[in-house]
Amino acid sequence: MNQPMTIDDLERLVGVEFPVGEFTIEGYEHWLTTDAIGSPPLPDDVAHPMYAYYAALGGMGLTLDELFAMVGSAAADGPMFGEAGLEFREVMRVGETYRVEGRITGVARKTGKRAGVFDIVSFELRVVDSSGAVAAVSTNSFVFPRRTA
Amino acid sequence: MRVSAGTELPVFEVGEVRAAAMKTMAVLLRDPNPIHFDPDVVAALGMGVRVINQGPTNMAYVVNMLVAWAGDTARIRALKVRFLDNVRAGDRVVAGGVVTSVAGEGRHRIAECDVWLDVVGGPRALAGSATVAVETGEAAGETPAK
Repeated sequence: MNQPMTIDDLERLVGVEFPVGEFTIEGYEHWLTTDAIGSPPLPDDVAHPMYAYYAALGGMGLTLDELFAMVGSAAADGPMFGEAGLEFREVMRVGETYRVEGRITGVARKTGKRAGVFDIVSFELRVVDSSGAVAAVSTNSFVFPRRTA
Repeated sequence: MRVSAGTELPVFEVGEVRAAAMKTMAVLLRDPNPIHFDPDVVAALGMGVRVINQGPTNMAYVVNMLVAWAGDTARIRALKVRFLDNVRAGDRVVAGGVVTSVAGEGRHRIAECDVWLDVVGGPRALAGSATVAVETGEAAGETPAK
């Protein structure tokens, strides 16, 4: 367990921007991905809509370990995926490179009968195309056990 | 086919979730969690003997259902899910959904749907909601999917 953070410390993270990253939808990776997930046939250069997620998480400007450390946790603490949301604004294209911007959007501390104290940290990733248009928005939350909070 | 509240979406079925596909996705997603590729670790963690599918792949099965139904990826506007349970290698899973409302006027309307992924003979692995654009037909309150 990393250093526990107070809820005030966590709330100060809301709005903090991640470093900007980028993600390129490589043709061979897209082929392998659509094969692995059993995608229906897609037009030649059209990326599977799940690339809104794959590009966001794959291209965000910090690693998950760095994100966990930012909120005073680590992979060994057993953080769990909570919810995932995708907003599809533009069709994403195979071969395109997208900029990925991100920020923490919310924190909440809760207590469960069995789970004890845990924090829910939400973050948003915007996938931006080369024209500057937001192609997709990925919102995610992680649940962090806080046995020592 | 026409779309209105209560319309069931055609299901998308995966006859057997493949361990090999999980290995491919572990590499592509740079996901080092061994529960997706090492059955010995799964057993050591007391999670059974079969490797566990990546959550985003479970989500992708639902997206596949929406793509097949809508006929055009551009019509899928939003998806939100909660992860409820695990899918394991060898499972048969079925993605399904139902239209809960159709809103808007004119030719282009928006269908709100409840969606899910069930393990056949097992738990519901995922549940959520989706927003899909649909083209209207002439009949008021009813909308052809494509």
